[in-house]
Amino acid sequence: MFLAFALITLGGAFALLIQRNAVQAGLCMMLSFFGMAGLFLLLANPVAAALQIIVYSGAITILFLFVVMLLQSHREEPSAHPRYIQKILSAALVIILALGAIKLVQSSKTLADIQAASPASDLITLEKLGERLFTDHLVALEAIGLLLLSAMIAAVVLIKKEA
Amino acid sequence: MDIGSFIHGSLHTYLIVSLLLFIGGLSTVLLRRNLLVQFMGIELMLNATNLALLAFAKWRGGDVTGTVLYLLIIAVAACEAAVGLALIIGMFRHRRSTDTDGANSLRQ
Repeated sequence: MFLAFALITLGGAFALLIQRNAVQAGLCMMLSFFGMAGLFLLLANPVAAALQIIVYSGAITILFLFVVMLLQSHREEPSAHPRYIQKILSAALVIILALGAIKLVQSSKTLADIQAASPASDLITLEKLGERLFTDHLVALEAIGLLLLSAMIAAVVLIKKEA
Repeated sequence: MDIGSFIHGSLHTYLIVSLLLFIGGLSTVLLRRNLLVQFMGIELMLNATNLALLAFAKWRGGDVTGTVLYLLIIAVAACEAAVGLALIIGMFRHRRSTDTDGANSLRQ
């Protein structure tokens, strides 16, 4: 199951990278988010999986697709300069980063210790989350509420046509 | 690292998936020229960090604080998406394009 969801997630990300059409790129991003929700389920965390599907696969992807269709910029414009050197350099950088990251994770002794010493974990329920959220992290919750309100006002102000 | 941890998942494999996802988002930002697709790459990078966070929380014995942090992160990501898309629409009104190659000056 882990392998299947990991392949869905990474396949969606790779398809987003090579997809020419912006609407289809958004759908690839949605696929990647669904795969990640499956990974969260495997991590014994159904709350995060549900939030992932509601917020990311639902709300944010729809927002993106809405803007793509509003602006009607599905296609990438042909570039004025080919810029081969920059493309090759950034592709090489990405491959080196990926190989280095895998090597680093595999050879890390601290991670192996954490993996060996992990206590048995139990399911994360909404009840536990709510209890922790409204006792220890109440200030952060209120701050997030204010942040969402200010972001909403900022978005409205930014796209308002000047009178 | 054995075959079983690749099929069933261990802390290492979750972190490898998270890092590869982050690098996929990074290369989308670096290689693509459409501003909207680059923004999708940023969302992917945010999600990769979420995956690493929740994997560590699981291997700390199912820590609930990881999920609390995840909740706060997606709220910030939603704010970021709303404001970022508003900025993209504002830029499109000025330039009639979402291509980042042409956007090389702060004023017209």
